[in-house]
Amino acid sequence: METDELILNMGPVHPSTHGVLRFRLRMDGEIIKNCEIVMGYLHRGTEKLGEMKTYLQFIPYTDRLDYISAMPNNYAYVKAVEELAGIEVPQRAEYIRVMIMELNRIVNHIVSIGSLLMDLGAATMIMWGFRERETALQLFEQLCGARMTFNYIKPGGVREDLPEGFIPKLREWMKDMEKRLVDYEQLINDNEIFHMRMKDIGTISAQEAINYGLTGPSLRGSGVDYDMRKIEPYSIYPDIDFKACTRPEGDSYARYIVRIDEIKESLQILRQVIDSMPEGKIVSNAKYGIAPMTGSPSSVMTYFPRIFTPHAGEVYSRIEAPKGELGFYIVSDGTTKPYRVKIRSPSFCNLTAIPKMVQGLRIPDLIAAFGTIDVVLGDVDR
Amino acid sequence: MNAAEELKNALPNSVVSISFQLDKPLAIIKKEDILKAATIARDMGFVHLSVITGIDYCDRYEVVYNFLSYVRKQNLVLKVILDHNNPVVDSLTSIWKGADWLERETYDLVGIKFSGHPDLKRILLPEGWAGHPLQKDYDMKTEQFVTIGDDGEDIVSTDGSNLLRRKYHGN
Repeated sequence: METDELILNMGPVHPSTHGVLRFRLRMDGEIIKNCEIVMGYLHRGTEKLGEMKTYLQFIPYTDRLDYISAMPNNYAYVKAVEELAGIEVPQRAEYIRVMIMELNRIVNHIVSIGSLLMDLGAATMIMWGFRERETALQLFEQLCGARMTFNYIKPGGVREDLPEGFIPKLREWMKDMEKRLVDYEQLINDNEIFHMRMKDIGTISAQEAINYGLTGPSLRGSGVDYDMRKIEPYSIYPDIDFKACTRPEGDSYARYIVRIDEIKESLQILRQVIDSMPEGKIVSNAKYGIAPMTGSPSSVMTYFPRIFTPHAGEVYSRIEAPKGELGFYIVSDGTTKPYRVKIRSPSFCNLTAIPKMVQGLRIPDLIAAFGTIDVVLGDVDR
Repeated sequence: MNAAEELKNALPNSVVSISFQLDKPLAIIKKEDILKAATIARDMGFVHLSVITGIDYCDRYEVVYNFLSYVRKQNLVLKVILDHNNPVVDSLTSIWKGADWLERETYDLVGIKFSGHPDLKRILLPEGWAGHPLQKDYDMKTEQFVTIGDDGEDIVSTDGSNLLRRKYHGN
């Protein structure tokens, strides 16, 4: 029997596309022949905005890229600026940064797994996940006054010191999280329907994954033993004992398991960081570039100039964000504003591999594979 | 010997100069030889194409490629310098599939053309958008409006008078 090919639009407004993303599918019956991705619905011109703001003014915009895990976004940009300007950071600030970034990584993976399960039709996990996430967001709120858009990390350190009672509350949350994690795994890992939806779906080999520029848990799920925290150790990661979680299979299930393992590793890192948190300053008080504004209380410990000028030059600085390699490419021309800011966002680059993954599969498999890539559209469209 | 020096030894005629991008070895490549240089870089172990981006320096364009080797744990930066009137460079899509969207984005926002790219069209902005926003002489004053046509295609126009927009009091 002859069948016609059908062009099917999925999105831009669809619950399973996690935002405004459009799949243009060429279907042969139920089989996806070709998948074209149309994006840009959330494009806000963040890179152009970067050229018009001073170095400090741009930090809040980075929150709005990957709004599920904004803390690593803050850090990636600030790290690039610090490398460009040669700013030293006090040890305590580095510990606080790593602590909250790992906390944010756990939050990100909970949301990612929860929404994946919801796409597959199991609503329990997102309820459970958001319960733990809520407590974590309250911790963030205590720390910097915001639940999702933090603007907390700044060049030279962090904005405020830990509030009273933060560490005990975090410890309590971690204890709770460990117990909940067992629940998660009992609910999901050996579920037969979950296996049928995930195993051998959206498979991509290690070589292909590298060729497509996949990074993060999506690449580690294909068996590449890489982690920017290990390959290019930054901040205090060299002093911390943890491992990069990998799985050899390269299918959707492997990517899910990598995320669960990473939650455990992050808890491990959190424990080490809390135990060895040093006392001291949280902001470097050295002076860089332009002199402080007149009348500012330079005796205050947490002083750092609002306006400063790095040397002319360029830097590409990357970190291991929860979703993959997040890089900022900054060109400075020696003025108070960057000449060019380029954001290498993990969601954008990971999305490249989706058409390859889903070719020859069915639409429900597209949803499953797309869920395991863990994309946030603010990060894709920038 | 760092990676840029290695590349210069392998391709003495294609590498214009070598230096550093902060701490990362940087090689400036003749624009017609970028495909050759990238192939050699890949064979040297730089399998991960981290980022492609273009920068408008008003008198010239620069396209920057950042590579990473997972095995050697080293970076390599390649750079080509393009004419400001006609910025064209060879596409790397034949070596890296991941270069596809990065090049489309560079074309969309910076206006650099990649010859040999299978489907070089805008990616973040709609087809029909005037100008490339990250060029330094981009016209920021003219508003552009996007509406949906009968077939679902994007229509870009500078006339927003018939759109539902919030009217500000006083003007």
